[in-house]
Amino acid sequence: MGVTITPEMVGQVVVSGLLAGALYSMVALGLALIFGVMRVINVAHGTILMLGAYTTFWWFQLLGINPYLSLLVSMPLMFLLGVFLQRSMVHRVVDAPELSSLLLTFGISIALVNVTQYAFSSDVRSVEFLTGSFLIGPLALSKSRLISFAVAIALTLLAFWFLQKTKLGKAIRATSQSREVAMVCGIDVQRIHLYAFGMASALAAAGGTLVAVIIAIQPEMGQIYTLKSFLVIVLGGAGNYPGALLGGMLLGLVEQLASLFLTTQVSEAVAYVLLVLVLLLRPTGLLGGRST
Amino acid sequence: MRTAFRSVTGLVTALVVLAGSWTPAAAQAPIKIGASLSLTGTYAALGQNQQRGYQLCAKHTNEKGGVLGRKIEFVLYDDQSQPATGVRLYEKLITQDKVDLVMGPYSSAITEAVANVTEKYKMPVVAPMASTTSIFKKGRKFIFMVQSAAEVYLEGLVEMAAKRGLKTVAIINEDTLFPKATVQGTIELAKKNGLQVVFVEAYPKGNPDFSAILTKIRAVNPDVLGAATYFDDAVAITRQMRELNVNPKMYGVTVGGDLPTFYQLLGKNAEFVYGATQWEVELPYPGAKEFQLAYSMEFPGRDISYHSAGGYGGCQALVEAIKRAGSLDGEKIREAILKMDINTVYGGFRVDPDGFQISHKMVMFQWQEGKKVIVWPDQLAAGKARFPTPPWVQR
Amino acid sequence: MKRAFQVALGVLLLALALYPTIATGYGIRFMLQLFMWIALAQSWNLISGLTGYVSFGHVAFFGTGAYATGILVANHGWHWMPASLMGGVAGAILALIIGYPCLRLKGPYFAISMLGLNEVMRVLVSYFEGLTGGGSGLSLPALHASVQIYYATGLAAVAVTATAFVIITSRFGLRLMTIREDEVAAEAMGIDTARYKLYAFLLSAFVPGVVGGLQARDQGYIEPIAVFPLLTTITMIVMALFGGKGTVWGPALGAVTLFVFQELVWARFLYLHQVLFGAIIIVVVLLMPRGILGILQQRYQLPRTI
Repeated sequence: MGVTITPEMVGQVVVSGLLAGALYSMVALGLALIFGVMRVINVAHGTILMLGAYTTFWWFQLLGINPYLSLLVSMPLMFLLGVFLQRSMVHRVVDAPELSSLLLTFGISIALVNVTQYAFSSDVRSVEFLTGSFLIGPLALSKSRLISFAVAIALTLLAFWFLQKTKLGKAIRATSQSREVAMVCGIDVQRIHLYAFGMASALAAAGGTLVAVIIAIQPEMGQIYTLKSFLVIVLGGAGNYPGALLGGMLLGLVEQLASLFLTTQVSEAVAYVLLVLVLLLRPTGLLGGRST
Repeated sequence: MRTAFRSVTGLVTALVVLAGSWTPAAAQAPIKIGASLSLTGTYAALGQNQQRGYQLCAKHTNEKGGVLGRKIEFVLYDDQSQPATGVRLYEKLITQDKVDLVMGPYSSAITEAVANVTEKYKMPVVAPMASTTSIFKKGRKFIFMVQSAAEVYLEGLVEMAAKRGLKTVAIINEDTLFPKATVQGTIELAKKNGLQVVFVEAYPKGNPDFSAILTKIRAVNPDVLGAATYFDDAVAITRQMRELNVNPKMYGVTVGGDLPTFYQLLGKNAEFVYGATQWEVELPYPGAKEFQLAYSMEFPGRDISYHSAGGYGGCQALVEAIKRAGSLDGEKIREAILKMDINTVYGGFRVDPDGFQISHKMVMFQWQEGKKVIVWPDQLAAGKARFPTPPWVQR
Repeated sequence: MKRAFQVALGVLLLALALYPTIATGYGIRFMLQLFMWIALAQSWNLISGLTGYVSFGHVAFFGTGAYATGILVANHGWHWMPASLMGGVAGAILALIIGYPCLRLKGPYFAISMLGLNEVMRVLVSYFEGLTGGGSGLSLPALHASVQIYYATGLAAVAVTATAFVIITSRFGLRLMTIREDEVAAEAMGIDTARYKLYAFLLSAFVPGVVGGLQARDQGYIEPIAVFPLLTTITMIVMALFGGKGTVWGPALGAVTLFVFQELVWARFLYLHQVLFGAIIIVVVLLMPRGILGILQQRYQLPRTI
């Protein structure tokens, strides 16, 4: 009962993989920022994505206008939430061993998920706005995923531009490379932490908005994105921001190709096996990031 | 002072003892029926529907005077959609809360785990939301099925396909107990009806992206696609089928396709989709319409589905069994259930000596113009199936 | 003081041994699960509390043991006692395979790799359905042995606590803690850190495997998502942290406190118990990272052997 794989099929899943990959890249960039600047492992990252998705849902439900415009709300809103979390709790585990940040962010995550469940119920929601695809020859490009791809790429490039060209961005990168030197240079490291966490949360929220139009929205949806973001930064190298972009695309491709050539179940395992292999063989990531 | 204190204490104690002994006659105390339900966690939406079914049944039974002259009262806990928690809770209900009887939880997986406990204490359990045959074929004596088995969920799809001369079928499923049972059953049914199974693949629970699996299906181009799903995946698969332009002549899902939310979320993309359902309000079962009316008044705005009706119907069956047994004794109730052949709002209820349901019928509907039209089996059908499903680009 | 403590401990153990004679089925299950948590928290402590290497996927050993035992009992008719021990062996073997390469990773990377390991095990178990039943889960033949399992799990909890005591009071333990404080210095002092870490890791994986097997027998049915949940790892970590990681009695104390709390609370607050658990985690991490015993140790200069 096998299926012969044709080049068209490979082409199709490659397209699907890249479309998904861009989203992973953007969301993972957020996680990379937090890890790079603060050495904090943020297990609540996917939860913030989920909150962004709910923001979009309610936007569309109550206002009925184009859900993509809700980016203007979800991103700033989650930016503020991120700043709040950093200011109130996360700043205290910045210098602590990784166990503290893992647990703290997990606690935040579980609290937020369950508050959401309590407030909005576990009923599955969705944003029905864009269905269908563009058919180009044998390839089908899902409209919603295409837009998600475009927006994710745009935001990621914007983030890079910000990190490379603006003063604040450079300060973030400097702090990420060496906090001591950054302090010596007069950078207000505490403020940088706030901005980094906020920015990361905004990126997660953008991810949430984009997937809200694609998949089902429910309180537990975020965990898988947290895990995938971990995978991406391991693949790309922690603290290596362009690495996140590469890692995301790679993950998207690997997932889809494994699903095609093997089965969808196995593709889950492949991703994690890849994680462990990369950690063992090239712990600084495929592009080389920072070792501890 | 001390003597005064002592006499006051003595008086108070006497009063308390007196008050304690003045309990209403035991016959007035309500019959306690325990259960754990998935009120939080992955099955929350469906567990809550079932909970409402139980609650409404209790209300109606009590309005009619209860059973054996007593009211019934549900003692419900949340198992958080976890089998291990369910096991612990049923132990608690039986040994600590000392409930008189129990009813089943949500899902085959949790029912399977919990059945070991109820069997241990010889506590009969009517399990409305477990449709995996294996649970009832393990030599257990005290568990009774209400639903039609998982294995026949797609029987309608397969039969209708065969009748129209279709030849090939592909099946995909979520990789958990119930959908897997459905796949096994569907493969058997396909063989029996002369269809060739050309593709089978499972996907992990929670999988959001079906591009690869649907790409393979598109290449195989089956006449029929059956998906053994829950809710999220049913929606995602349907949507992605449209995006990837996968066009079987018939496409059916199992759980989830029957919820009004399915159509709300997919809109016109839900048209022509076949769904399996254990129960629809249109079916000519006694009291079904009244049940729906009462439900919408008691729980305004909340989802009604076969889980609610199943909870209600299962509870009805238990109450009837208590009546016929004339007691709360486990063995007597068991005997009563084994002899019963009744109709509840949920449909027929009759079990074989293993407790396996043999009277309840699965039906298949198709979404037509935003409505679920029952198209199979013929004796319960309200309309004809729209066949074949036109390709997406033509819609 | 020490004598009084020992006497109290003896009385407690005696009471626990006699408990099944008066307890309800639920009471036995409750205590059994409590023992399980004590065993898990203590095991986690052996690697993460002592060496500082955060095993963020420790439930992988539990799940592996559960399946190893389940397969032996269901498919090969083994008795659950030797089968559970094999569960422990399975856990240890997994730790050996994984520990050898992964313990070379530093800090956060080790944590993430352990997380990845847990997911890999879950997916592998789902994949090899011929062996494990895959997503359908694995059913063990019916057996009502809760009382025996109560004793077995209790024994496991006692064993791992005793192991913790022995290790912490030994030179081996001292070396592990040196690794925790400053691995580079430990190396410089001539401690073969790789070997010691691996030993600790193996020890920490054995008991979860056994306890996983016992749970599988007691529940009678296991499925992949049920035995490899992240929440279990987190819970055992929080328990160990709450009581005081790196101490002998800390994890047990944390397990008892938190498990009893969960029992008293979740029965009442249907929807909020998880939120409360999250809040507890936050409080523990921010306000008492050293745990109760850690704080007491510092304040009152208590000996290391607490």
